[in-house]
Amino acid sequence: MAIVVIQILNSLFYASVLFLIAAGLTLIFGVMRIVNLAHGSLYALGAYITAWLVGQAVAGGIPLGGLALFLLLPAGAIGVALIGAILEPSLLRPFYQRAEEYQLLVTFGLLLILEDAIRFLWGGLPLSADAVADTLPSVRVLGFLYPAYNFVVIGIGAVAALALWGLVYRTRFGVLLRATAQDRRMATALGLDVRRVYLFAFTIGCFIAGLGGAIVVPSQAAVLGMGIEALVLAFIVVVIGGMGSLKGALVGALIVSFVRTIGVQFFPEAELAFLFLLAGVVLIVRPTGLFGTA
Amino acid sequence: MEVETHALHGGTEECESKLRHYQKANLVYRDGSSATLCNLTAANLGRLTAILGGINMAYSEKRRDFLKGLGAGIGVAAGAAIAASGIVARVGPARAALPPKGNIPDTPFKTGHITFLTGPAAVLGEPSLKGHTLAAEEINAQGGLLGKRKIETDKTDEAAGVDGVVKEVRRMKLSENIDLLTGVISSGTSPALAPVAEELSFLTLLTDGCTDYVFDRADPHPKYVFRVTNIQSADGMTAGVATAQTWPHIKSIAHLHPDYAYGHNAFLHFNLVMQHVLPGTENVSVNWPKLGTTDFTPYITKIMAANPDLLFSSIWGGDYVAFYKQALRYGLFDKMKFASTIAFGINPSAIGKDHPEGLLVGCHANYYFTFPSADRWPANAGFVKRYFERWQEYPNFEAEGAYTALYALKTAVERANRLEGGWPSNDAIISQLEGLGLETPAGYLYISPENHQGYKDTVIGFSKNVPEYPFPILDPARVIYLPVRSISAPPGWPKPTSSDQEDTAAADWIRATWQVAQKA
Repeated sequence: MAIVVIQILNSLFYASVLFLIAAGLTLIFGVMRIVNLAHGSLYALGAYITAWLVGQAVAGGIPLGGLALFLLLPAGAIGVALIGAILEPSLLRPFYQRAEEYQLLVTFGLLLILEDAIRFLWGGLPLSADAVADTLPSVRVLGFLYPAYNFVVIGIGAVAALALWGLVYRTRFGVLLRATAQDRRMATALGLDVRRVYLFAFTIGCFIAGLGGAIVVPSQAAVLGMGIEALVLAFIVVVIGGMGSLKGALVGALIVSFVRTIGVQFFPEAELAFLFLLAGVVLIVRPTGLFGTA
Repeated sequence: MEVETHALHGGTEECESKLRHYQKANLVYRDGSSATLCNLTAANLGRLTAILGGINMAYSEKRRDFLKGLGAGIGVAAGAAIAASGIVARVGPARAALPPKGNIPDTPFKTGHITFLTGPAAVLGEPSLKGHTLAAEEINAQGGLLGKRKIETDKTDEAAGVDGVVKEVRRMKLSENIDLLTGVISSGTSPALAPVAEELSFLTLLTDGCTDYVFDRADPHPKYVFRVTNIQSADGMTAGVATAQTWPHIKSIAHLHPDYAYGHNAFLHFNLVMQHVLPGTENVSVNWPKLGTTDFTPYITKIMAANPDLLFSSIWGGDYVAFYKQALRYGLFDKMKFASTIAFGINPSAIGKDHPEGLLVGCHANYYFTFPSADRWPANAGFVKRYFERWQEYPNFEAEGAYTALYALKTAVERANRLEGGWPSNDAIISQLEGLGLETPAGYLYISPENHQGYKDTVIGFSKNVPEYPFPILDPARVIYLPVRSISAPPGWPKPTSSDQEDTAAADWIRATWQVAQKA
């Protein structure tokens, strides 16, 4: 029984991170109709920036005690958001009028550049941000040790889901976002500054991807290739949940995470095949995904 | 061998006498092929010296551990004497070469170094290229090969995938006139590359990509392809023997391996060792995370629920760093013993001081930079020092392998020049690589003429924090060396015939020659 509880917590932890990555991917696609292949690398960038900042803070001797380190988590996300705010107008904007293949090529090129930039800046060795996770102890859950930091990650995932929902469905900006997503030409005709909407959508997408990287890195480590692994899983999430749907990203992340845990527990040799099979079935039964419309 | 491993837990004196016996017994191959040792032909002379050197070194290292405090100081004097006699060459820049015979062209000698420059495996690719570069710079500082031909390097990214690398190899040979291929990390790349190199008559010194499959099946009668590092089966076996020796009372074992050739190879050979050395042990949980996994939490919980005595793992690189940090906070290491083939195979500084102590952590059964220790093995002391000065970090096994490869070439070229004069032909160089004995940073290396595979004693140890380094190292007080012939099929052992492509000659050899240990 205790094992079931811990495995559920493990799944929620993983789902939180997956949701943050997939939500950004799906938001950018929903609004801008761009499949951002570099999205996983932006997530990795968030992890690296955070780990680097934490490393600097620890080396410099942080004055406020360990909890001040938590303030560095948003810094990683903001860093990635700033990069996004530069990338959108400079790199992506010239390609909106071109065929989709060009956009794929551009974002794939960006993926390669970001992966190399990470290696160039931080080298090949894993970068850790243990100090953040270590400010909180491991607690006992039904006799098993469980890192308290993982609860923080689950909490941040839940809050981020609520905040995104509020942004999209309860604010004026959300209305503009949805209007642009539904019909870009009509939105333009009504005097909406689509360029600004695109810029904000991309920046927000980058922010939550960076946040995903920032909160996951204290419990693991920033390693080369983490972005590619995340991208593949995020795609499975949006295929299942539906491209462009925020609700789909949340449900998809939960499904992928729980199915993976079940796979690990009972079918250790076929855990990944299981996920792809699931995505395949969804594509056949509901080609737009569970909550997709397009 | 099985009986002795049990006995190694006695007191100092008991262990000492057992070790003596153990070393003696192992002078003979289990299949009786020791007879070949008496054939002192030119080819066998190199082998004999390498084996004697290896025994001497392994023995003195072990003996040193056991005799620590008694002031015993048997070093590698005999080994050094062999080296001085000129049969076994020492790697490193200090050695003065004889003047070359004949006319040597001063055109550059072009090498192609294949390694991971991008992606997660770049964590191993970087040190490989650094080791290669250091050796090339040292050799070039002395004028180049035979004092004339400077070594140039053309790098290829192994992350291009098997097809990409094979295409690149063809291009290197056919349009770039590259003289030598070195490197290769992945056991997925080497089996595809070896037959192509043979077809192109492309001299190749593999420095990893160590799957048994290369010389068992993909390239069973190699001419141009060599490998200067240990074969993969030695890795799982080293961890298995060391585990049995350290924790002979374990009953239940959990496994965590990357789901590709390397993980399966480690699983196979570790299990075979267990079945023979610690019969009755049971695998209670077997797990195959994908290479590149970063979230290990469901595996950790599952393994802890299975409550094994030991967790055995071949997770490597960044995956291992992510794993141990998560396992630490779940309290996994408090609940079970831990053994690994390659946990400390990454750059030493990548492991944090938070890493638990007393875990059995391997370095791919090849090389850890603190062994053989600096005071008794100058080839290592000098290498570590020069590597640190050049790169401000400590070398791992990939760095050592790539470094050694160029010196193996240099030695063979110099000897072939004595035979032929001028720049020697590939055939002459190959004849000198076959049976070559080399005093490398990792100890004595011997390259078998039969299967072109390098053999050196394997090393594994226990994690320990020491004040001298900002990261844990292998505990200097209790490193485990295994004589490589005790854990390798003899080079001439029949190739595997099983239709299971993961089966190896080494596995057949264990099944055929190891006895199942009896309960004492």
